[in-house]
Amino acid sequence: MQIGDELGPFTVRVTREQLVRYAGAADDYNPIHYDDEVARALGLPGVIVHGMLNMGLIARFILEALPPLTAVVDYHVRFRQMVRPHELLTIRASVSGIEDPFVDFEVTLQGEQARPAVTGRLRVRLPAGPTPR
Amino acid sequence: MFRIDRECLGEHSLPETREVERGAIRKFAQALGLANPLHFSSEAARAAGFRDLLAPPTFAITLLSWNVPGVQWPAEGVIHGEQTLRLGEPICAGDVITVSGWVDDVKSRRAARGSMHIVSLVSQGFHQWGQEAFWAKAVLIVTENEEAPHADRR
Repeated sequence: MQIGDELGPFTVRVTREQLVRYAGAADDYNPIHYDDEVARALGLPGVIVHGMLNMGLIARFILEALPPLTAVVDYHVRFRQMVRPHELLTIRASVSGIEDPFVDFEVTLQGEQARPAVTGRLRVRLPAGPTPR
Repeated sequence: MFRIDRECLGEHSLPETREVERGAIRKFAQALGLANPLHFSSEAARAAGFRDLLAPPTFAITLLSWNVPGVQWPAEGVIHGEQTLRLGEPICAGDVITVSGWVDDVKSRRAARGSMHIVSLVSQGFHQWGQEAFWAKAVLIVTENEEAPHADRR
């Protein structure tokens, strides 16, 4: 792995069912994530995806592309745009630093708007053993 | 209604314990569409050297406490602006995590109609044997709208 190497792009859509599942699993019952009426009354276009669900999806795709037992050790994201259910989401990661056994990635999650909905950086610790590629 | 007492900045909430259940890990992993057997099969997790099912990285955020000294959160209108998560010793099913939280910074400014507060909420969780499990910081944006002036108000 080298600086500038990219993982992905990975694409995914979040369904309304997934929003409800995530709300239950995360114990986050803010109605803007499952009740359109409440969301609209607050000036939103309708229900929006939990920022933390997007953060979890980015980590999921990065870890799925790395060796088993790779661990996230430090992760920071900025939530910049709202994400609606069923939007096509594109997740990208590029290697921005290597400090064996740690690798840093710059990450983005782009929805259907012009600018990324989530940007951040994620540091993983690779498992002991031969470095991939 | 949102209230914040600046004298309480940095004051930690009373520690609360969270028991990490297998079902909670499985449901969380399922909600994110994860397929890694470490989150679903205790046998697979133990074979890989974990105590039991491994929690996905962002599971830690579900353990944190919003009930921190000096803050009364509004019923609505809190926007999640940023999130930092540092993970230490892995969180597994059966672990008991002791969590406390505090506000480490607040910036307030006038907005178009009311005021805007940027609140940094920090949480820390420790395993029952003392090792740090996570440190998390959420940057939350709270907007308070003043009621629009009413025409017939004297």
